[in-house]
Amino acid sequence: MSVDTLSAPPGRTRSRWTSLPSLWRQTPLSFRIGLIVLVAHLLVAATGQFWAPYGFSQMGTGRPLSGMSWTHPFGVDQLGRDIFSRVVHGSHIVILLSLSGTLLGLIVGAVLGLLSGYVGGWIDEVLQRFLEALISIPFLVLALIAIAAAGPELAGNPVLIVLVVALVYAPRIARMARSVAVDIATRDHVTVARLRGESAWSVMRRELLPNATSVLLVEFALRAGYAPVLIGSLGFLGFGLRPPTPEWGLMISENRALIIVTPITVLGPGLALASLVVGLNLFTEGLARILGRTVKLGVQ
Amino acid sequence: MDAKPVISVEGLSVSYRQGAGFTRVVEDVTFAVAPGEVFGLVGESGCGKSTIALQMLGYRPPAMRTDAGAINFEDRNLLALDRSGLDRVRGARVAFVPQNPTTALNPGIRVGSQIDEILAAHGADAAAARVDRTLELFGLVGLPAKPEFLRRYPHQLSGGQQQRVCIAMALACDPAFVVLDEPTTGLDVTTQEQIVALLIDLRARLKMSMLYVTHDLGLLSQIADRVGVMYAGRMVEIAPTAELFTDPKHPYTRGLIGSIPRIEDRSGLPARPLRGLLQRHELPKGCPFAPRCDWATPECFEERQELEPAGPSREVACWRWHEIAVPADARAVSQAPEVDHPDRLLAIDKVTVTYGSGRGAFVAIRDISLDIGKGETFALVGESGSGKSTLARAVAGLIAPAEGTIALAGKPLAGLVRQRTPEERRLIQFVFQNPDASLNPRARIAKALARPLAFFFGHASEARVQAALADVRLDGKYAARFPDELSGGERQRVAIARGLVAEPSLLLCDEILSALDVSVQASILALLQRLKAERGVAMLFISHDLAVVRMLADRVCVLFRGDIMEIGRRDQVFSAPFHPYTHSLLEAVPAPLKPNAHKGGASNEAANAPSDKGCAYAGRCAWQIGEICTKERPPWRETDQGLRIRCHHSLDELTSLATWPNATDIDDGRAAQ
Repeated sequence: MSVDTLSAPPGRTRSRWTSLPSLWRQTPLSFRIGLIVLVAHLLVAATGQFWAPYGFSQMGTGRPLSGMSWTHPFGVDQLGRDIFSRVVHGSHIVILLSLSGTLLGLIVGAVLGLLSGYVGGWIDEVLQRFLEALISIPFLVLALIAIAAAGPELAGNPVLIVLVVALVYAPRIARMARSVAVDIATRDHVTVARLRGESAWSVMRRELLPNATSVLLVEFALRAGYAPVLIGSLGFLGFGLRPPTPEWGLMISENRALIIVTPITVLGPGLALASLVVGLNLFTEGLARILGRTVKLGVQ
Repeated sequence: MDAKPVISVEGLSVSYRQGAGFTRVVEDVTFAVAPGEVFGLVGESGCGKSTIALQMLGYRPPAMRTDAGAINFEDRNLLALDRSGLDRVRGARVAFVPQNPTTALNPGIRVGSQIDEILAAHGADAAAARVDRTLELFGLVGLPAKPEFLRRYPHQLSGGQQQRVCIAMALACDPAFVVLDEPTTGLDVTTQEQIVALLIDLRARLKMSMLYVTHDLGLLSQIADRVGVMYAGRMVEIAPTAELFTDPKHPYTRGLIGSIPRIEDRSGLPARPLRGLLQRHELPKGCPFAPRCDWATPECFEERQELEPAGPSREVACWRWHEIAVPADARAVSQAPEVDHPDRLLAIDKVTVTYGSGRGAFVAIRDISLDIGKGETFALVGESGSGKSTLARAVAGLIAPAEGTIALAGKPLAGLVRQRTPEERRLIQFVFQNPDASLNPRARIAKALARPLAFFFGHASEARVQAALADVRLDGKYAARFPDELSGGERQRVAIARGLVAEPSLLLCDEILSALDVSVQASILALLQRLKAERGVAMLFISHDLAVVRMLADRVCVLFRGDIMEIGRRDQVFSAPFHPYTHSLLEAVPAPLKPNAHKGGASNEAANAPSDKGCAYAGRCAWQIGEICTKERPPWRETDQGLRIRCHHSLDELTSLATWPNATDIDDGRAAQ
């Protein structure tokens, strides 16, 4: 006898998502804090353009390098631009680039990994060695190589940034997806599909993917939490978006010379970046715990 | 019980956390175990028997709450002891033998050291004395008492040997009471027989008290003195073993006993199965069994019945036990109609399957030839490792035969499934042992059934899905559910339905009953028999349960180490002359009240390595002639009725050596009462 047999009376329908307040109370604390921070960021990203006090490239909003004040909470830079407005304007850029880059990496990585794990044999071997080679190159170095290879015409293009994030993440996600696929592929329901003569693509879509969602979701959230840092680093090094785009990493880079005079011009964007990363990470940690609790992996 | 009991459970109630609240899983259970007594605890999955077993060790998982009651053991209440108090009792005075020895033993520690740990934790013996004690224990449980053996790792032992190590571990500190939780469920019949024989032997020698938890009533009849029957967390009947089988009082006990497939039963009819399933969330206020009871009256639903005395040392919880006097086992004995010379559907010709290649190759089945007729149920029997699943996998195309051909309806099949045509794939369908794994947990039942329809016929209608569910006697509402909202038996029905929607001509059933409860087994068995009659689908039915095979099969093939030992019509296989291996399998079947024919705890697991020469069964054979068995391949011997046996003995000798069935007399005698 196991607890399972008792906890799943046959007549029950899925009512897990019906009562939100009780659901909220059951979630881990980190999940709740993370969610609140994330929702705040998303609100700013969605609505910021309408209420930001100044435009992101509007000059002469105040005395340059005048420091913190009620009208300029994050100070004013050398060109007289209001840093707070630039941070608000930049919010949706950072979030959009991070999420779409990670999402692309997730899709490519999941498909590669699941197929590789299911098909096995020499295809799997070759693909895995190739992905390992990619993973062995440090994050930033790989990103810089990719940007250099893309050539100067594409430099600073948001699409390139998205592709670079995807390139960095896809091999790592693929390895995770592969290990899940290897586990699921031995289960009998996959054998049943194989006996039916289903193609590898169909088996991946119908049998593997639905059972790998929890792992992939956690993987996505984890990677998304680090993506703003990667994009920020690229911006800081001058390989990201072009000025005057209010990308946070770029802003930190632009104002780093002013750190002695008005430290808030660097701290402002840094604070925004840090809170986004911390929020994402708390959220994903909580999510991982919730999914880990409700989803059985392997043989229970 | 005159003597003071070793351990007594009083008014025990236990709950498990479920969502926001708690669910009562054990309700007001009271019983006691006398010194030297073996008390059997039996019931369907989820009845709370394992929960009680864990409580008797004072084990309390975080999600478990003890609501009331006491467990008195050696003047202490185990439920009130703190952690350090429990540490002193557990292992030393109360010991535990788990269900699955493979996961219970630490794979990274040598078996000798694992026993040493227990001795070191509970005694201050010197290291050398502990080694001596370990060797003594190994001798006691029928393992080689050699220092080399202590240095083995668990994976270097067979399943039966691992369970022996677990038993030795439990016995290490001479406990007064041992809890055994389904100790033989994961083992195959012959190994199970040896372990039970060992336990009976130990009990006689050590005068130990035991609690034996199992869902297998037949097994309890051999080892237990008294049996407690549980239903939905309550004790419904306690009786001495012999009386329980001859004269069960509670309707549930009657149903359970009626559900056991009997090897002596020639009727081919399913046993009287219990109706329905235990549904915890809709238990009535009164007797929990009332919804499934044939004798229930309105008052049964309203008023709870406590255990009350029903004769000497018997207790039963039923309002009507003295009124209901129908014999528990009133099965009509009739001959199942035999299929006469059916057309040949599947022909397996000289098939050999090997795993691996080169020098490390392992031959799983060797040179097997057999054929299955249209609509015929063909059973493959043998212990684990005999190659019966391998043969099914070769037929399905999961593994290509190294030699030989498999032909379906006269056309040879490609070795691997992806080289076969869609039509060939449709005609052979596979049903797996474990319904938990064979259904996609993230797909609703409707989707699982619609996919083969869409794949093979190009379209899947709602009506076809509903019809498929109706075929296996499931309500249409199940289509919208996920597999985890179904019970094990219901899931297996869905798996069978998924095989049948493809309209196959051959259904491969790989141990499809062994993961299920006895009462659920009986209902699936009835379903299979009906499908066999209605649909005319042929089945390759793989099982280690000879009683089930006898009910369902038209023809039977006995495999040992990848070789056919005996093949023929069911009734001929189940009557003399027997192949020595078939005979030993039949002897090993636990049946209620079968006289014990076991010979001590002798281990015969160490069979010879299979070789190309000689008989595969030589080395384990009780009727071995001598050198010839290991040197020469035995010849096929054929009776007039077409039964074929591969043995060096002549048919007459085999007939005269047979002693089975020795339990038929008792069965007949009881039926006559």
